[in-house]
This record gives sequence, structure tokens and C-alpha cells, in this order.
Amino acid sequence: MAKCLPTTGVISWITTVDHKRIGIMYGVTAFLFLLCGGIEALLMRTQLAIPNNTLVTAGTFNSLMTMHGTTMIFLFVMPLSAAFFNFLTPLMIGAPDVAFPRMNALSYWIFLFGGLLLNFSFAVRLAPDGGWFNYANLTGKVFSPSHAIDFWVLGIQILGLASLIAAINFLVTILNMRCKGMTLLKMPIFIWTTLVTQVLLILALPVITVALVMMTFDRSFGTGFFDPAGGGQVIMWQHFFWIFGHPEVYILILPAMGIVSEILPTFSRKPLFGYTVMVYSSCAIGFLGFAVWAHHMFTTGLGPWAQALFSAATMLIAVPTGVKIFNWISTLWGGQIRFTTAMLFAMSFIAMFTFGGLSGVMHSSPPIDSQHQDTYFVVAHFHYVLYGGAVMALFGGIFYWFPKVFGYYMHEGLGKAQFWLYMLGFNLTFFPMHFLGMQGMPRRVFTYSGDQGWSLWNLVATSGSYITALGGVVFVINIVYTLITKKNKAPADCWDGRTLEWSLSSPPPEYNFAVDPEVKHLDDWWHQKYTHDGRRITPRYQPDVDPATKHLPHPSFWPMIVAAGLTIIAIGFLVDGIGHYISVGGVVVTLLAVYGWVFEEA
Amino acid sequence: MKPISKAISRASCLLSASMFSLYSLAGSFDEHPYELSASFKTPMDTLAGLTDWGQGINYVYAITTIIVGIVFLAVSIPLIYAIRRFRVSDEEFATLPLPKQVHGNVILEFTWTIIPVILLLFIAVPTWQIIFRQPEKHQIPPGSMRIEVIGHQWWWEFRYPSLGITTANELHLPEKTPVYFELSSVDVIHSFWIPQFGGKLDVMPGKGAENYLFLTTPSLQHPEQNGGEYYQGQCAELCGLSHALMRFEAVVHEKAEFERWAAVFHNPPVVQTALEKKGELVFMQCMSCHTISKTPSEDIEKQMLAMDPPVHKAGPNLTDFGSRRMLAAGTRTNTAQNFHDWVDNPPSIKPGSRMVPLGLSKADIEAVAAYLRYSTAKTY
Repeated sequence: MAKCLPTTGVISWITTVDHKRIGIMYGVTAFLFLLCGGIEALLMRTQLAIPNNTLVTAGTFNSLMTMHGTTMIFLFVMPLSAAFFNFLTPLMIGAPDVAFPRMNALSYWIFLFGGLLLNFSFAVRLAPDGGWFNYANLTGKVFSPSHAIDFWVLGIQILGLASLIAAINFLVTILNMRCKGMTLLKMPIFIWTTLVTQVLLILALPVITVALVMMTFDRSFGTGFFDPAGGGQVIMWQHFFWIFGHPEVYILILPAMGIVSEILPTFSRKPLFGYTVMVYSSCAIGFLGFAVWAHHMFTTGLGPWAQALFSAATMLIAVPTGVKIFNWISTLWGGQIRFTTAMLFAMSFIAMFTFGGLSGVMHSSPPIDSQHQDTYFVVAHFHYVLYGGAVMALFGGIFYWFPKVFGYYMHEGLGKAQFWLYMLGFNLTFFPMHFLGMQGMPRRVFTYSGDQGWSLWNLVATSGSYITALGGVVFVINIVYTLITKKNKAPADCWDGRTLEWSLSSPPPEYNFAVDPEVKHLDDWWHQKYTHDGRRITPRYQPDVDPATKHLPHPSFWPMIVAAGLTIIAIGFLVDGIGHYISVGGVVVTLLAVYGWVFEEA
Repeated sequence: MKPISKAISRASCLLSASMFSLYSLAGSFDEHPYELSASFKTPMDTLAGLTDWGQGINYVYAITTIIVGIVFLAVSIPLIYAIRRFRVSDEEFATLPLPKQVHGNVILEFTWTIIPVILLLFIAVPTWQIIFRQPEKHQIPPGSMRIEVIGHQWWWEFRYPSLGITTANELHLPEKTPVYFELSSVDVIHSFWIPQFGGKLDVMPGKGAENYLFLTTPSLQHPEQNGGEYYQGQCAELCGLSHALMRFEAVVHEKAEFERWAAVFHNPPVVQTALEKKGELVFMQCMSCHTISKTPSEDIEKQMLAMDPPVHKAGPNLTDFGSRRMLAAGTRTNTAQNFHDWVDNPPSIKPGSRMVPLGLSKADIEAVAAYLRYSTAKTY
């Protein structure tokens, strides 16, 4: 069956196991969800533009707030990072594909169905409203009797599965499929941050998985893990959630750091400053990331010793992070800096991320945190880190690798217009939120009264969010314009890059490398282009060969059907009455699909 | 396209520069204008630091802000300099030879590993000082006044066991007195926060999950005025639909005034007019949820609390309702119109409110308003 599937058209995309196509699908899907998350943000900002606004109800606001956070984290930043992992990992390490191509497709389809299931909740007016942290016991059956919270619990469970499968896949790929000569300390820095991210995912996701199972049991079968009335403890959920939730922060930021660490050297025409230290810093950040979860809980009454130790560990994270920041600046120092759009985004990452990191140091101190916790100061802080930081870097990555993926440069003028709109809009939205936090405005409030002194800065923040939205429109125009006009064709090595993907034609052929690469240096492609004394020599680009001579994994329907089966199991929990039968049906579909998968020719 | 992006970049620089100056205008934009020099002086100002607890926070905060500011300059100045100094145009780039290929510098990298560690110690040590200065439950100084704070969706109950008083949404405190708040919740997690006093502490449900917040109440800012000084508090943990509307007020009194408040609290309501008399009868319907001390509603509450497990009344204690400044957990001023709107349809003011429209006639609401707003007004 597999052999007769088409190689072009819709069916070819549904059945593809090519890491490059899956990467593109991850990226496109992530941006569709960004649209959802962005509209949710705009609605919230519009509601808060003026005091006592009645645009949305309290219930709707809580849903928007919950789904905005959940969407941006699980359905935008994580999958967009996954898009980069997918497309780039095999190309950067000189491999024909990922270790488990069909598993790769499976993780995409699970992610897609999980995201659709979560957002389907809006259609049935049961959008989750317990916050992205879903604190017990507000989310127990007593205080949230509808299925809204179940949508969140099951949606996150499904999305976690997708991430876990992908993490195992990339860990194995990076450890086992590097080309000849690429020792660990000759891997591109982006591959290093990818590797650390996968380790974090593998260690952090099981915690939330178990906690979600317990919460499902609490809600569906009447157990009392997190319910004081049933002898449980509400604080348990917070520990579980943040043991996952804090590494999750680094899962979001590390890929962005890797992307920036690739862009800065290219457009400074210098190697990354202190590569080895950057690798160790990434590992240190990942390691310490597991020792700081309780800093999200400083106001829960941890006691002085826990506060002292967790604040010390939190402050310690600033050290490897600071090293990275200074190494990035040193990478720029003495270079030849070209102001491409990708470079602008990467440089703004350093500034915005530093700013967010410093406000983070402020509330690593529990006494200060007791004032900042759950105010707009914290909202400002993490948007500087995750939006000014991670998202700006991801956009930089898109402008940087778009020519490699699609074969055409994006429009630089439109790109720069988007960049400045983003910088302006972003800072206008989130900088005043520091003031709002210091003026005591709590988070997650659907309205506020006019006598609080919060009106002006809320209005400024709202106007900033519209400017950002305009930047988003410019981005869409840029993509459409680039792909329709196809004016600016990109050569293989379009930016004078440093890593192996630039030795391939743009876009790369389906089989990746015609000749198995062999590397001798870190940034081997650069060393193939320049001699030690800086003379330019002609490198050996990868030749194009007849794809028929290359063995490629066969396309398959089964990953999508397995993902559908798993989603049907979850849907069963959301339906009263016949729910059990639906879940059993889902189990049958899953098992049959796994059977078909196992006996299909690979 | 280039001039457009340049114009936008200029505009963004200008705007961020004028941000701080704009900030001082924040107060005048609102209903209650504030002095230019004191634009942080909002009802929920986190920098006031009026108690010993708040001052400790401000102490760490000031040190941290200075250090963080230094680091910000140490990063942004070289960053901006490098970007401006080493920028090349496309034409230059095509002709320039490769720049010096620097791979790292051990001494430099060692330096910027060690310096942050030292700077962080300057934040960490004061932090630990303040953390350990704050007493735990068993360290609370004897003789401190104990106040039970009980979180409800979406209002606050305050009990003074030593005085035998229960009240709601208005926390009366004597000035310059060591007090400790015993925080517990009957439903979900809330967070107890009076920003001008200091930081917040979560209000957890469940046996043995109580938190203890110790502080010395502030002294009066204007001792010549009577009637106490009001500070706004608000729940700071998402607790459901009306989380945003779960406010309260802390009222600090001169010590003698506080004692008078506590004493008159034990007086029964003074029912004078016929309308108030009628209101007292209408209030009979409210007694399963609300209590007014020295009335039959108090006996009902005692019976409910004597049950096993004890049953808390669903609504706030209204003993001194007439002298409260706000209603509906600090969200509306206590006027006749707001009272009518509230009783007529509570969920329209507070979404999800457990108090539902009771279907009282306009005359009944008027009567119960007279009873609650005048008979329970306490003079102290």
C-alpha cells in the first residue's frame, strides 16, 4: 500500500514521513494557532482598555486568559520550535532523516488533533477557564462542574504525548545519527540547545502526565488527590505542575537561544564567542531548571528554609544566562554586522531577553515576589522573556531559514517594517505593565474600577497590542507576497552560513545529502569556504542525484489514524452517557492502526 | 520600504523615551487625580511599605533595583555600542576582508561568570535576612492580636477571637499593634493582600493548611482625623468568576477608637422607624446566610457551627453593615442605589455570586435597606 501513495498533492502531505515536510506542517499549524492566541490577547486587551468595560463577561475573560496562555505555550511556541527541530536537525547533523520518521509524523498528528480538540471547546461554549496552570481545587468537580476543565486536562495530556514522542525521536536522532566526524562538541549550537530541550521534555513531561491522570481521576471517578474535602491537598497540584512548568520555561527559551546563536555569528561574520561555554551554560540552565520550581509558589506559605533555598537556586540560573548574554555581545564585537531582518530580530532578542531576565532576578527574592506575584509586573516579566525573547528569536529564525526551506528570500523591507512594528507594539504593551504591577494591578482580573490609577497604562498597553497585530498582518503579507511572486531566488548558501544545511540546494532535495558528509571542524561548512588566513576557497556543494537511487522511508496513513484513535479516546471523557463507548471505540481504532503500522513495509 | 521602517524606528525611540515622562501623568487620567511627584500613590501602591513587613520588602527591593539597573547598563551599553560601531553596509561588506576570527577568551568569560555571582550575593543576603526575620507560626510574639481571615468565593470574613467579633470585607485594626492573620479558606485558594502594608500570602483550603502572616499595623498618617484610615486589599489568586471583584478594605484606627468600635459591635441594631421595623422582618428571610449579632440570626449561626462538621453561613456577617463604606466585597460604595441594585440582582454585579435574585419587591428592598443601612450603623 505504502509504495503506491502519491508524492505530490494533499494525500502526499497527509502521509508524509519526510522531516522537512513535517517541519513545514508544524510551522504552518503553529501560526494558525498563533492567530487564535493573538485574537484572544486582543480581546482581553480591548476589554481592559478602559475601566469597567463590558465587552466580554467575566466567564469569557477567564476562558480567553486560560486559552491565550495555553495556546501560546503549547500550540505556538513549542510547535514552532518543533518545526525548527524537524526541519533543521537532520540537515545540521548530516543525516538523511530523523531516527523514527513515522513516529515523527505521529507526533505531528497528535499535536494537531490535541490542539483542535482544545480549541473545539470554544465551539461548544466550554472553553477552559481555570488558567493555564489549572490550580486545584478551583478546577475540581465542585467548583468547575462543566466539561470545560476536562477539555484542558485531556488536551494537555494529548499534547504532552506528542511532545514526548518527538523528544525521544530527536534525542535518538542527535545521539545516533550525526555524520562522520561530528563529535558532540562539533555539533552546531542549535543542535545542542535542541538536545538539552529534548532531555528537559523527557524528564518534565511525565510529571505533568501523572498529575493530569490524577486530576482526570479526581474529576471523572471521584478520587480526592487534590481535593481537601476528600483528604487531598491543593498544594500537591502546584508542586506537580511547576516541576513540569518551570523546565517548560526553558523548553520554550532554549531553542530560541540556539537560533540566536546561529544567526548572530552568520551576520557578524565571526564564530560564536565561547562555543564550549555556551554549551555548558545551556546544560547548566537545563539542570538548574529542575531545582527552582517552587519560586512560582513563594506566596503559598512554603516556610523560610524552602524560600531561602529556592531563591538561591533561582538566582544561580542568572549566572549561566548572563554568560550567554555577554558571549552574544562578544560575538557581535569586532564583527561585520549586516542589518538583515533576521539579524534585527536576533539582536532585539538579546536586549528584550536581558530586560525580562533582570525583572526575573527581582522576583527571585521571595520578599519582593510577595508584592509582584500575580500582578501585572509578572505579566510584563514573562512576556519580555517569552515574547520579546523566544518569539522574536523564532521570527528571526524564520527570516533566516525561510530561503533554505522554500528557496526564496522573504521581502526584507516588509520584514523590517514588521520588526519595528513588533518592537514598538511589544514595548508599548508590556513596558507599562511594570508600572501597573507596581501600582498593584492583579493578573487575571476581567475588569477594574476607574479609581485605581490603572486606566492610562492599560489604554497604552492596549494600543500597543494593536500595533503588534499590525506587524502580524505585515508578516502574513510578506509570506504571501514571497511565495506568490517568487522573485528573489535564494542560492544554496544564501547568507554565507556556517553549518551543513547551507551545503544543500534551497530547498533541499527529499533525500537531503547525496554524499554522506564528513566534518573535521565545528562550523565545518565555514571551514570549507575559508582558509585559516581568511582566503575564500570554493566549497563542494552537495550534488543533486536521482532520488530513485536513494532509499527513503515510505509514506504512511497509519500515524494519522493512530493519532485520531487516541483523540477519540479523549473525546469519550468529554461526552456524558455514551462516553465510555466512544473511548472504547478509540481504543479499537488505535490498536487496529498500530497493527497496520507494525506490519506495513517501512 | 526603507524610509518607512526608519520612520517607525525613530518613532519607537521617541515613544520609549517619553514613556517615563508620560508616567507622571497617569494619576491625572483617573477619577481621583494624584500629585505628580507621587504617581505611584494609588490605592494598591506596592511601594508604600507602611508596616515593618512592607519596609523589609522595600529594603530588598531598593538594593535589587540598583544592582539590576547596573547590570542592565553593563549589558545595554556594550550591546548598543557594538551594534552601532561594527555595522557595515552591503557595499562595504562585499569588499571587506574577513574580520578577526575570535573563538573566545577564557579570562573574559571567567570574569563575567564571577561578577554576577558576587552581585547576586548582594541580593541574596538581604533577601535571606528578611525571610528569616518574618516569624513562623511558633515564633509569633506572645501578646500579638490574632485575627482569623477566611476566604470565601468572593468575599472576606474576619474574626477576632479575643474580642468575640465577626465581620466581613472591612478589616478594622488598631494602629501600631502586632497582629497575626490566620488565613484559611472554606472553598478555593485565595490570596490575602494589602499592597500598602506589604506582600501577599495565599489563603489555602483544607485542614492544617492555614498560613500565618505577622505584621505590626501602621501608625496613622493623619492622627487628627477621626474614623480611621482606609487601605485597599484584594484577592490575588484566581478564584473563579468574580476573582476581580473580591476586594476588601483595611481600616486602621487610633487604639482608643478601635476599642470603641469593638465595644459597640456587641450592641444590637437600633430599630427606630416603621420602615426599619419592616426591614427587620424582611431580614428574617436572609438569616440562613447572614448574621447580625444580638439578633436571632446569631443563634442560627451558633447552631450551624455546632454541627459536625461545622457549617459556615454562606454570606457575610452584616453586624456593622450600616457603617461600612463599601458593599459587595469592596466593589461598590454603600449607597441606597447600589444597595438596591445589589439585592435586586447580585449576579449582575458579581458574576457567579452565591446570593441569587430573591424576588423581593421594591418596597421590601427599601425596607431591608433602611434596616441594614441605618439600624446597623454604629457610632464610635
